[in-house]
Amino acid sequence: MASKLTLSNRTGWTFALPGFALIFTFIVLPFFFAIGLSLTNQRLLSPNPTQFVGLENYRQLLGFAVVTLEPERDEAGEVVRDEAGEIQYPRLRAITRSDDYPQYRGMREWFRWQSGENVMVVIARDVVFMKALVNTFLFVLVVAPVQGGLALMLALLINQKLRGISIFRTIYFMPVVVSIVVVSLLWRFIYDGQNGLLNSILQGLSFGLFQPVDWLGDPSTALPAIMAMSIWQAVGFHMVIWLAGLQTISPTLYEAAAIEGASKWQTFRYVTWPGLRNTAVLVLVVITMQGFALFAQIDVMTNGGPRDSTQTLVFQAVERGYGKQDISGGSTISVILFAIVLAISLIQRWLTRER
Amino acid sequence: MAFDPDNYGLRLFVRYLVLCLIALIFIFPLVFMINSSFKPDNQLLADTSSLRAFLPVGDISLDNYFGAFRRAPVALFVLNSVLVTGATVLLSLLICSLAAFSFAFLRWKGRDVVLSIVIATLIIPFETIAIPLLLLVSKLPWIGLEGLQWGWLNTYRVQIIPWIADGLTIFLFVQYFKGLPGELIEAGRVEGASWWQVYYRIVMPLSGPVLATAAILKFLVMYNQYLWPLIVVQQENYRPIMVGLGYFFQLNVAWGEVMAYLTLITVPVLIFYLFLQRAFIASIASTGVKG
Amino acid sequence: MAEVSLKGIKKSYGRVDVIKGVDIHINDGEFVVFVGPSGCGKSTLLRMIAGLEEMTEGILEIGGRVVNELQPKERGVAMVFQSYAIFPHMTVRENIAFGLTIAGASKQEKEQKVAEAARILQMEHLLDRRPSQLSGGQRQRVAIGRAITRKPAVFLFDEPLSNLDAALRMDMRMEIGRLRRQLGTTMIYVTHDQVEAMTLADRIVVLKDGQVMQIGAPMELYHEPANRFVAGFLGAPSMNFLTVDVLDLDGEAATVGNRALEPIRVATRRRPFRKDGKAILGIRPQHLRAVQSGKGMLHGVVAHAERLGSETVVDLTLRDDRELIAAFNEDKIFQPGDALELAFDTALAHLFPEEG
Ligand SMILES: Nc1ncnc2c1ncn2[C@@H]1O[C@H](COP(=O)(O)OP(=O)(O)OP(=O)(O)O)[C@@H](O)[C@H]1O
Ligand SMILES: [Mg+2]
Repeated sequence: MASKLTLSNRTGWTFALPGFALIFTFIVLPFFFAIGLSLTNQRLLSPNPTQFVGLENYRQLLGFAVVTLEPERDEAGEVVRDEAGEIQYPRLRAITRSDDYPQYRGMREWFRWQSGENVMVVIARDVVFMKALVNTFLFVLVVAPVQGGLALMLALLINQKLRGISIFRTIYFMPVVVSIVVVSLLWRFIYDGQNGLLNSILQGLSFGLFQPVDWLGDPSTALPAIMAMSIWQAVGFHMVIWLAGLQTISPTLYEAAAIEGASKWQTFRYVTWPGLRNTAVLVLVVITMQGFALFAQIDVMTNGGPRDSTQTLVFQAVERGYGKQDISGGSTISVILFAIVLAISLIQRWLTRER
Repeated sequence: MAFDPDNYGLRLFVRYLVLCLIALIFIFPLVFMINSSFKPDNQLLADTSSLRAFLPVGDISLDNYFGAFRRAPVALFVLNSVLVTGATVLLSLLICSLAAFSFAFLRWKGRDVVLSIVIATLIIPFETIAIPLLLLVSKLPWIGLEGLQWGWLNTYRVQIIPWIADGLTIFLFVQYFKGLPGELIEAGRVEGASWWQVYYRIVMPLSGPVLATAAILKFLVMYNQYLWPLIVVQQENYRPIMVGLGYFFQLNVAWGEVMAYLTLITVPVLIFYLFLQRAFIASIASTGVKG
Repeated sequence: MAEVSLKGIKKSYGRVDVIKGVDIHINDGEFVVFVGPSGCGKSTLLRMIAGLEEMTEGILEIGGRVVNELQPKERGVAMVFQSYAIFPHMTVRENIAFGLTIAGASKQEKEQKVAEAARILQMEHLLDRRPSQLSGGQRQRVAIGRAITRKPAVFLFDEPLSNLDAALRMDMRMEIGRLRRQLGTTMIYVTHDQVEAMTLADRIVVLKDGQVMQIGAPMELYHEPANRFVAGFLGAPSMNFLTVDVLDLDGEAATVGNRALEPIRVATRRRPFRKDGKAILGIRPQHLRAVQSGKGMLHGVVAHAERLGSETVVDLTLRDDRELIAAFNEDKIFQPGDALELAFDTALAHLFPEEG
């Protein structure tokens, strides 16, 4: 008999309802809304009625192909070269606009590489999105290990028993409480090509030998510059998480290691690191999640430029969904982003599962 | 190594040197910001080529601050941010702790399902739902003094209400509540307290640490809001500080004023942090305990 | 004040049956103690009476009223918890007055009742302290104070003294005894300390694995245990059990013996035995006497002896290599290896069937 004694349906729901209703309305609902919109052609100010388009948006974003360009040949079958001796190839447009290849219609070149005499060209329906996707992954792949590793080193440094060590902990953590917008603005100054602090410092250190670089204006340095700044800003955050992990390791283990005569490295390798396994997974996952949400830095510092070298998924989602009022396009990117994040958290679950 | 590794004093010195050099890396942009806020634009730009950038030297004045106030309704932005942040933090503490209380102590039909939904939202990044949420709030009804209205854009409520409840805050409360001695709650029940009385007479007074953690985390999120107000607030009257920055980046940028504005909005948080640094750090650490 | 009646009460957590059908009737004003080994379900039973846990089956009546579905506050019970469960953020005064505050009592009434409770428990000087400034015994007093101010019909105690040291425990035990005489309320008291059970109880309920083993007055349980479990559970050092052969059976008694024990006649108390079968003979260590060589019923060698001053506890190895404990109420010196012969009054021995 299910008694009413310990079951408090009314009170339970009453207490939980405000919070749950808010979460449902402002997180769960928009989430399904995003999935729904990604299957339509909704635009904010469109005269045409919204239609269901199935997976068309995903095809638009994710479609890509590899085409091979063969060298142009003269009647004799000889490869045509220009004055500099470079091999001449047909123009890509000949393929993407040709009626012979309707499947490539509307695609643009993403990147190409040489393969013997031929050239392989990767063409994509949405090159900007592809760049955003690659940049986001690149960002995560670089930032996660570097930031996680640096944070661990800082945590080990801060975990020493030294007088005044908490002052240093306070300082290292300080950028975390400063808005990422403020931080991004300050670093625009640091990275400036003319008056930038970074250039000044590097010139000072190299006695003037260093040639000033426009860090954010050069496609090859813009993304690394943003990575460096992001690492700087949040490394204190992860240092604190590592510290919390370090403090869960029993001191008796260290004493035992000391009695066994373990070296510092051995102590780290056999006592500290095994005790940090779950923390390590957590740190990596949190950095990864933060990395995939990369937006403010881009918006404040580069707007995705120069030449799309700092486009990211969230920046594209916002720019399309809000800036260009292409609601369905922005939502589709959001759903793709969510799918990636979900996959990562499932991997985390699996890595930290109980054995 | 060039030094005698057994020399205790030297080793200590090297340790502190390393710690200080790292500290410089973390602190120099902020030092630069504060010092620059007192310098006229031309000197500010010239100083970046030398160490003067980090020193309050030269033509020091508060002109940039006056300039900033003239250029933009700074006080209004600060007020808006304080209002939005304060309201959200307070409402969030109340509503999330109530929900968590229900999850932790009460038994009711559907509880486990509801709790799993709440926890599942932890992995939805806000950025992925910003656009649909924008569409949603632009159509929501509201009954105010002027009667029924549609659409929440350009209001305080659009900046507050969607941010009140979140999975992380509820999760932190649930974890904390489950760690409280169950006999205290049972004693309250035997003594005749209703669940509401157990909540506010027994559980809340014992929840200082988790309230501080939740408040600090929410504060950091709310005070630093950027993307959301950027897209839902077009009217100056409701703009918060981060969006207010846009005023300083029209045509030619007055860097001194930018620095003054940044200093103005950052330093109070830093002071707040320095006073409560233990609580701040503990709150971040406690988010790491999940999983 | 009220009687409490448990009828066919069962409790399971999922598939695990924790309480397997318990019937107990507690009279108005009676002090009943639940004892039993750890995990036998004492707390579960008490918490079901308090209304903190629901019953899977059965009927619970308090004061003649079925309370199965009533909330704790509607049952007229007060409970003292093992961890005291006093509220750390309130002063002693606020703690004691908590129930009254909740009930919306007037300030005057609260003041008066708190003063009364403080007087009874002799802690007037502690009223403005916080729990963190109190010793264990004082905290326990606050918990009791909080329980008595509401004048409940039934008091429930769940191992209230187990967190205290030995000396304090004795003080508090006496205090609870005094309180009980003063208030005359029905009290149900859970413990696994048999001294508490023996000294405080009107009746003891011995539990094992969620079942009642025996209910009765302390001396009844001590002298006439219904089964081997109760016999072994009460008394310290606990009763010796020897496996013996049933040599002969007649109406009231059996003749038993083994390699270490001369044949003796022991009353069967209507328990079933089989001739030429096995039986368990129970003898309390205190009932054993050392006798001159040749006159003993039991033959053994001293393995180890403990002198406690008032008592000497001897660990013997019997002829058949079984162990036996004897307690002599005088200070005597024994050396390991000494041969010893023991005798006892067979009327004080108990015979139990082999299994159970
Ligand atoms: N919530 C629960 N879920 C499952 N089993 C439980 C639960 N609570 C108690 N039990 C089990 O019920 C049995 C009885 O527990 P109970 O706490 O009543 O024992 P006890 O007699 O009070 O023991 P102790 O002397 O150690 O306090 C134990 O075996 C325990 O493991
Ligand atoms: Mg118990």
